[in-house]
Amino acid sequence: MVRRGIARALLLVAVAAFLHLTATAALTQEKSRLDTVLQRGKLIVATFSTAPPFCYTDDKGQLVGFDIDVARLLGKALFKDPNKVEFVVVTAEGRWPAIESGRADMGIATTTIYPDRAVRVAFTRPYVDSGVSVLVKKGSGIKSLADLNQEKYAIANLNNPQQADRSKRFIPRTKTLTFDTPAAQALAVRSGRAQGAQLDTPVADWYAATSKDEFEVIPELMGYSQNNAIFLKHGDFTWWHWLDTAVGEMRSGSYYGDYSEIYQKWFGKNPPPQKFYLR
Amino acid sequence: MRFLNWLAAYGPSYGSGLGWTALIALWASVGAIVWGSVLLLIRLSGRRWVNLAVEGYVQLFRNTPVLLSIYLIYFGFPLIGVVWPAVICGGLALVLQNGAYISEILRGGVKAIDLVQFDAAKSLGLSGWGTFRKVVLPQVLVYALPSLGNQVILLVKDTSLLSAISVAELTMNAKLLTEQTGAAYEAFVVVAVLYLLLVVVLELAARSALRAVRWRPRYDAL
Repeated sequence: MVRRGIARALLLVAVAAFLHLTATAALTQEKSRLDTVLQRGKLIVATFSTAPPFCYTDDKGQLVGFDIDVARLLGKALFKDPNKVEFVVVTAEGRWPAIESGRADMGIATTTIYPDRAVRVAFTRPYVDSGVSVLVKKGSGIKSLADLNQEKYAIANLNNPQQADRSKRFIPRTKTLTFDTPAAQALAVRSGRAQGAQLDTPVADWYAATSKDEFEVIPELMGYSQNNAIFLKHGDFTWWHWLDTAVGEMRSGSYYGDYSEIYQKWFGKNPPPQKFYLR
Repeated sequence: MRFLNWLAAYGPSYGSGLGWTALIALWASVGAIVWGSVLLLIRLSGRRWVNLAVEGYVQLFRNTPVLLSIYLIYFGFPLIGVVWPAVICGGLALVLQNGAYISEILRGGVKAIDLVQFDAAKSLGLSGWGTFRKVVLPQVLVYALPSLGNQVILLVKDTSLLSAISVAELTMNAKLLTEQTGAAYEAFVVVAVLYLLLVVVLELAARSALRAVRWRPRYDAL
């Protein structure tokens, strides 16, 4: 009897907690994440730590990269201080719950816009686009996608659908291996598990530049445009609008100067012109 | 509702992952039990240096994370020209580690047998093999089966680590689906339920196995 009583009490507590949660969820929907961020005085950003040169940990243990600097530029836009940004390091599949649960305000993590994804998370307009390249071992004799397109070879992909799609389209004969991080993809090429790794062009270039005698990038591209965007929870128009506006300002407006500096720093070239009709 | 829609659209793609997980779990657990028994027999043979070698092996594998041996075999062996498929590499790592655990479990079962019984066996004129088959084995099975079942369950869950080396098992399935759809909660809840189902099946099998080997004297507490 006593045990049943306890069980009932526990059930009651659980129901009460659930009702409380749903009630608060309904209330917080009224308030925009933008207000929360402004009140808190800092921006919380979900990002990766293993994807150079976008977001990775450098020799000194600092989180650095193009995405990190873009996040800091947003911090500067909000608080006039690029250091008022806190980073939450997540894994590839951990980035979605990080924003859905509200642990982070939004995410910048070399994340490509993809229609299936947009059903569940909101994207701003892209803050960077890039080609997709193939990293191969130096002296492997693989000079083109046609060379790589053979049954005896394997390509190391990241576990996202875009890479799987492109593999099927460009090198249908090559076996595919699927990994979690660019670091593991590079390791697969290094160990001879795979003969090529499919990477965003800046990432491939970074590996080729940092390990000159080991890797090279084949000149052919597997795709010309890969749009990376800031992602956030659906349903908060104010917050999405602010972020989207900020990205617009970076690519063609008042933050273009700061954005060009960051672009130069990480990719060694100028970003696309502010307007297509300008030089 | 949103969950059901998601499940209807992407649920079927878990089938192959479930198959791979079951297949790897099967071969790795059979392998681990065989390898654990071999280690036990080596140890029971009683040579001092052999004993030490097995002890060292067991310590090495019990005290290192299995993910390390998975990486080492998958990414390291190709450097010396050994390129096995990922399923073999990952399964081998699981066999090596769980074999170490299982040999200890079995050894515990043997240790639980009263030494007097060995004297009794000798006085009855049983050979070494006869003692093992007629006295030791029936008792060891009863003593060790619950822990053995437990170890196999741990092994089944460890197969999820093989997603790190490109094996298309359940966890990899969930990762691919989260990457595609951004629906992390749904993808992993489904995987959790599927693992749970696999383990429940195993538990039932372990229980009926225990019932099969449990003969006189009756162990009512089991």
